[in-house]
Amino acid sequence: MVLIVNTTKDTAITERLKELTEQKGIETDIVEAADMNISHCIGCNYCWLKTPGVCSIKDDYEEILKKIIKADDLWVISDTALGFINHKGKNIFDRILPIATMYLKFYRDQMRHVTRYSKSPDIGLIVTGEADMDYLDKWVYRCALNFESTALGAFGKDELEEAVSCM
Amino acid sequence: MHVMIINGSPRVKKYSNTDKILNKFTEGLAEQGGTYEQYEVSDRKQWDDIREAFRKADNILIAIPLYVENIPGLLLEFLETVTPREGDCDIAYILQGGFAEGAQLRCGEKYLVMLSKHLGCRYKGTLVKGDNFSIRFFEGDMQDRVTGPYKRMGELFAQRGDFDDKECKKFTGPEIFPVHIRILLGVMFKTVGRIMFNKLAKSWGCEKPLNYKPYGT
Repeated sequence: MVLIVNTTKDTAITERLKELTEQKGIETDIVEAADMNISHCIGCNYCWLKTPGVCSIKDDYEEILKKIIKADDLWVISDTALGFINHKGKNIFDRILPIATMYLKFYRDQMRHVTRYSKSPDIGLIVTGEADMDYLDKWVYRCALNFESTALGAFGKDELEEAVSCM
Repeated sequence: MHVMIINGSPRVKKYSNTDKILNKFTEGLAEQGGTYEQYEVSDRKQWDDIREAFRKADNILIAIPLYVENIPGLLLEFLETVTPREGDCDIAYILQGGFAEGAQLRCGEKYLVMLSKHLGCRYKGTLVKGDNFSIRFFEGDMQDRVTGPYKRMGELFAQRGDFDDKECKKFTGPEIFPVHIRILLGVMFKTVGRIMFNKLAKSWGCEKPLNYKPYGT
């Protein structure tokens, strides 16, 4: 299942993604998160050391986290700010930490946290505003390393066909 | 030199590793005649004051814990509300993280160069260092051993006004560990490392194994 979390109010994107994925027979779960109550990560470390796997912040993110664990792909749709994804998009990534454990290991040549579940989703990004796309590609690659999954790339909202071809 | 410092950690000041780092850094800064004012992004009540200070400052320093390969969501949210300057001030950063290798922080560092342009400030470098996760769990001398070296960096910053210096670059430590160290650390992570984290969790009142799977398999 491909999980698509839309943090923007632009539902034309998710409608188009729905059409494109249906044509290809890709199973999706689309979450419209723009109006959801999703806090930033407060760095309390409870999900690692006090209530393993469970975030201390009780808000709408819990529902998304449960879906992330079962998803093959996680695609986040975000608006941009300051040359990067905006805070709404970034919060979706920052709050993902419960899928890692406190334990450490080496993965390839660098330290990583041991993942909590048997699989972690591959990561893709779709942005609606202006940003440095080369940087976002690199950033998505680094994100995926943390979950020992694959980076599917960063795409603009005019590149939805290309994005779907990576799903 | 007067420096306007923003602690960009979303963690409350009391538990903020970045704050402990800044304590040492500003000690060095002050010893070299530097002055500073410090703000916390974690306290939304300060946001109006920080915006005002940002508007007027000549030297800005943002201290940042790495969150998922970039700056934390809360700091982004704050910076989205700031009016960019017009190339009339300097900005430098302290970027810190938990993982020990310098390579872990480079993706974040790269963004800070871009961010400086978006904020309309002249980029004066980033002091990059990892291996700081334990600060929160140490006190006294043990904590000083981790944070202490930042004092010298504060002295240097007061003298230079940037982090574009050999000593600052060396401060990062190894980019990645050589293979024999990785093997050794890998064994330690699986053994004593796990015991240590389990102990820590118990002291926090944790009742589940640390690899507990609340939502699936």
